[in-house]
Amino acid sequence: MTDVLFLAWRYLAHNRIKTVVLVGSIMLIVYLPVALRVLVTQSATELTSRAEATPLLVGAKGSPLELALSSLYFSADTPELTTHAEASRIASTGYAQAIPLYVRFKARSQPIVGTTLDYFDFRGLRFVEGRNMAMLGECVLGSRAAKILEAGVGGSVVSSPESVFDIAGVYPLKMQVVGVLEPTFTADDEAVFVDLKTAWIVQGLVHGHQDMAAPEAAPGVLAREGDTIIANASVVQFTEITPDNIDSFHFHGSVDDYPISAVIAVPHDQKSGTILMGRYEAPDEPMQILKPTTVIDDLLGTIFTVQNFVVAGMLLVGVAALATASLVFVLSLRLRQREIETMARIGGSKMRVAGVLVAEVAVVIGMSVFLAGILTVLTARFAPAVVRVLLLQ
Amino acid sequence: MRLATSLSLSLVIALLSCGGAGPEPTAPAVDEVLDRLLVYTVNYPLAYFAARLGGDHVEVVFPAPPGEDPAFWSPDPETIAAYQGADVILLNGAGYAKWVERATLPSSKLVDTSAGFEDRYIELTGTVTHSHGPEGDHEHGGWAFTTWLDLNLAVEQARSVADSLSSKIPTAAAEIEERFTSLETDLMALDARFAAAAETIGSEPLLFSHPVYQYFIHHYELNGHEIHWEPDVEPDGKMWSELAHIQDHNTARWMLWEGDPLETSVASLDERGISSVVFSPCANPPEEDDWMTVMTANAEALETIAATHR
Repeated sequence: MTDVLFLAWRYLAHNRIKTVVLVGSIMLIVYLPVALRVLVTQSATELTSRAEATPLLVGAKGSPLELALSSLYFSADTPELTTHAEASRIASTGYAQAIPLYVRFKARSQPIVGTTLDYFDFRGLRFVEGRNMAMLGECVLGSRAAKILEAGVGGSVVSSPESVFDIAGVYPLKMQVVGVLEPTFTADDEAVFVDLKTAWIVQGLVHGHQDMAAPEAAPGVLAREGDTIIANASVVQFTEITPDNIDSFHFHGSVDDYPISAVIAVPHDQKSGTILMGRYEAPDEPMQILKPTTVIDDLLGTIFTVQNFVVAGMLLVGVAALATASLVFVLSLRLRQREIETMARIGGSKMRVAGVLVAEVAVVIGMSVFLAGILTVLTARFAPAVVRVLLLQ
Repeated sequence: MRLATSLSLSLVIALLSCGGAGPEPTAPAVDEVLDRLLVYTVNYPLAYFAARLGGDHVEVVFPAPPGEDPAFWSPDPETIAAYQGADVILLNGAGYAKWVERATLPSSKLVDTSAGFEDRYIELTGTVTHSHGPEGDHEHGGWAFTTWLDLNLAVEQARSVADSLSSKIPTAAAEIEERFTSLETDLMALDARFAAAAETIGSEPLLFSHPVYQYFIHHYELNGHEIHWEPDVEPDGKMWSELAHIQDHNTARWMLWEGDPLETSVASLDERGISSVVFSPCANPPEEDDWMTVMTANAEALETIAATHR
């Protein structure tokens, strides 16, 4: 047996180029479909794990996919907005913890996520530097957001206008960075977290300005009628919140009327979750409640369908490549007719000669599978990082 | 081919089962067992209620420095961080402690103790309305916030505190309920004394040194007039002029101060036929005794006025 393997090996070693081409071809035929499946499975795992960690989402009726993608990954367009009253409504049921989200604005390319401190506990976010936001105008950066915005504790980031053509819109708000989060390899790494109230300041709904009754505000006052002061647009509104002007920031009306994009509902138990979902079943209910896993599973179903087409195509290419490889073997047998005859004349039995040829094929296939296995292992090892980078981008 | 694929997949599965992403964080357990509940409050009355209702089950912290009016105090970020670390944060509501609006606090830990009687808030008058830009008119006004001086509202606030503590420490719910009954009895006894004295006083005009007695005046149907004097500040000429103007149509014989007034202020008022008495809202911890003792002293002060009623 050793002599058979020795002759097969010597043959393959002698015809190095042919062997390398054969091994490379067969390796790719094996590796590509498997690697594709590994990457897609890893993508699905990443997407699903975030969805699975988010029990229920509530938002205004509209696209469930937009609501899920905006709330889970801070991507996609802003879904239909609802009001903070929805978060209060969920909390008042006693069935779930309500974590409001307002994902609408950006600081350069990074999403500004308005939420409450409960979000940090819910996602298990930890600080690598600094502390959580405590006052209006403070923000906490995800790890990648800190790198991209080149900001750290003590620095600042500025909100971006929603539209460059919105010259009459609200002023950008300069926010003080008070904390940077540890990497989580989720969408949280990309975010600029602020208090909901700070997000409303970014929108201009909560604002601080000169004391209208103060003498220095007189140029901006158009009229005074009793307790009513009418001011013009020259009233100085603050674009940065400082200890000196923070007391001038104020709300108009009830917080419950202020906008949010979604509410993460964390039911206290399964029964509470079911009852809560039932409350949104009424036909005239203007809100929708959804399980993110359902939405993401639908999305993944589409991805897997496409993947199956790709894999089927690869298998067809693989079959064609294997047929070609087989042809190469058969043709090489004809080319090696004299070599085979020589082996027979020097005493090699038909079985031995056939054994040498079979061994050559087996070694080529074995080496191909072995190399495909190594590549697959490497792919699987680095797939999470690759997929996270791809997903986050 | 099949063998090769199986081999590769096995390797992949083995590797994935060993490494990859860490576990996703899950929501914190709601029914987490707490040894000693950390309760932060925005004023002393709520701290008193929480301590009395929670007993050994709670650690109550009211971090405003002595001498600061908690309604207008602004904690620094470190103190706000301490609030964030509490298990329960008791708010007075009605716009009390404006800093709460400007701070980031965990909403799941906030308990607005006056939310149950929002419809009975007293709106402040004389607030400035202004308009600028497309949003139209808006007011920088608000509500009177010294709710606990109406002892019926104080009972409702204590009820809210008891409910929040019981929900956090279900094992002590019966004990908390028992303590609430005791507190309610004390508050109602004081309320009866307030009401009896107020009934005797009837429509006799009274002066209050600070605009923080709205709920007290409203509930006990007193003919009160609030001015804005500080007990530790000598009134200036303008303030005496304003008082003289008030006395043109107000025959008040008593001024109720929120703290011990200066002797000179007392003497000057005496010359004008106005006696002084302290009726403290007790928003801060007293140097001695506790909130109930101060409220009892308030009842005695009111009874003193009633005893001199003509």
